[in-house]
Amino acid sequence: MPQQANQPLPDGYQLENYRIASVLSCGGFSIVYLAYDENDQPVAIKEYLPSQLALRNEGDALPSISEENLATFRYGMRCFFEEGRSLARLSHPNVVRVLNFFRANETVYMVMRYERGRTLQEHIRARRGTIKERFIRHVFTLLLNGLREVHSNKLLHLDIKPANIYIRNDSTPVLIDFGAARQTLVQEGQRLSPMYTPGFAPPEQYKNRELLGPWSDCYAIGASIFACLASAAPQAADDRSEKDRYVSATKVWNGKYSRQLLETIDWCLELDHMKRPQSVFALQKVLLREKDPEVHRAISILESVRSALMKRLGR
Amino acid sequence: MRFSIFQESRKGGREANQDRTSYAYTRDALLMVVADGMGGHLHGEVASQIAAQLLTEAFQREAKPKLADPSGFLQKSITDAHFALGDYAKARSLIESPRTTCVACVVQDSTAYWAHVGDSRLYHVRQGRIQAQTRDHSRVQMLVDQGRVREEAVAAHPDRNKIFNCIGANALPQVELSKPTRLREDDTLILCTDGVWGPLTGNLIAGALLKSDLMKAVPALLDLAEVRGGADSDNLSVVAMTWAETHPGAIAGEVSTRTLKRDGVTTQLEDFSKADHSDLTDEEIENAIEEIRAAIRKHTPQKRS
Repeated sequence: MPQQANQPLPDGYQLENYRIASVLSCGGFSIVYLAYDENDQPVAIKEYLPSQLALRNEGDALPSISEENLATFRYGMRCFFEEGRSLARLSHPNVVRVLNFFRANETVYMVMRYERGRTLQEHIRARRGTIKERFIRHVFTLLLNGLREVHSNKLLHLDIKPANIYIRNDSTPVLIDFGAARQTLVQEGQRLSPMYTPGFAPPEQYKNRELLGPWSDCYAIGASIFACLASAAPQAADDRSEKDRYVSATKVWNGKYSRQLLETIDWCLELDHMKRPQSVFALQKVLLREKDPEVHRAISILESVRSALMKRLGR
Repeated sequence: MRFSIFQESRKGGREANQDRTSYAYTRDALLMVVADGMGGHLHGEVASQIAAQLLTEAFQREAKPKLADPSGFLQKSITDAHFALGDYAKARSLIESPRTTCVACVVQDSTAYWAHVGDSRLYHVRQGRIQAQTRDHSRVQMLVDQGRVREEAVAAHPDRNKIFNCIGANALPQVELSKPTRLREDDTLILCTDGVWGPLTGNLIAGALLKSDLMKAVPALLDLAEVRGGADSDNLSVVAMTWAETHPGAIAGEVSTRTLKRDGVTTQLEDFSKADHSDLTDEEIENAIEEIRAAIRKHTPQKRS
């Protein structure tokens, strides 16, 4: 279906207690704004506005939704609520924090902490093939801490990819965009198709969704590490199930990265979900088991000091 | 075992269907379930879905091909459903658990065992007459028992929706179990929600089964209840079964379990994917937002001054 561009709210628009400053990103499902709260603190506000169903014209705040799309629009709202519910329960330095949730302009808004930095995708683009192993291990070890927290809340992210991994200016990662996270009880709707990103989604996300589990997010983690090396996503899993052209990372980058990191990528990218790491913990153990364990011990100590400080500061 | 079985759930005049029905059978045992999620509480349809699903799954695990203790099974799995709803609420930081009524019945060895919580009913009909029926756990039923309200006036009584016993409340559900009841040829068991029994009378339901077979009589009863319920008709759900142990092939829609494998289970459960998703009302939106805000407050570390 062709995507029509939706008009964002204009800069300076007063949305409840927040003043819209600019558009951060614009997707098919939502628009994310940079805004300032009543204390002039920056926040990111995500507006539920699927462009296929609700169109906002220039100069209007209210989107127009046709009678026939109203039901689907509201069904999609359920998914937006799911995301809000998922995130509201998570309080972890490596997972995006929700600050508020409200209804306005006939749709709903989620206010999140604004982080300064850039996405891993932008980072990969800027560094094209020159990303160091140390950076990868550092970022993913911390990111997996966040993902462990997600999984321990019985949630799956299901859309992990470099565009959804945000790297703060201090080079710590934050997992963002839980739009695809669902609790197991909630089934897919008929008209809004399940979300996945080719290359990063495991085969069971295309079909056999009953097989989804922590190993599914592990596949996406493997694909994201792969993307750091290749500056591109691996072959899409549905394609691979037909004719697998994936070449083992241990062959492609032999000598350029440690054998163990390359084996970890291959392990995560197994098509058979049973052959992959079965939990984030299993994967983390390997990422931490390196020639020089001292470095990572230091990082984890730094990390615990940091999160203790954050708690104190009430962030 | 031979029987004919019919199940249907209708939305009526409501925006959402919070009722769930299911049945499952093995070669030697049959389970039927009707649950009515409580609309005044958050996630009514989740509650009835979890209850129906949990009972059906327990049956699938334990009926090999018969249940060792049908009454014990009903007591335990309904209580388990109660705790499952508590877990669901806790996992989502809901202010209160979703709630549901439930009536469930096991048939094995030509004997029926049923259990209920709340005001979903079971009628045991024999030759056009009501042989037995469950007694609602409702305030208005208490008034009937005390002789203060006539049976016929129940459907119009202002307190008709107030029930004092359900799955998912703060108190444990009090599961009321029937005596084991021997079934005869052509006996019918009807499990239904108040959307069905409310606008009808027991005699009307029993009499309809004399005139035509189950497959025609029950949809006609639903039609009548829906019409009488009017534009604001409640959800209507029913599972009905006519027992046909000895004379095979005599009734429509008959199921014979003789060809099933010893450990085979057949299940019919209406699930979320079939339910319509268009039912997000303004009230539900407000509730969802309030729920998310409560979770944010609960999980946000307090600022130190």
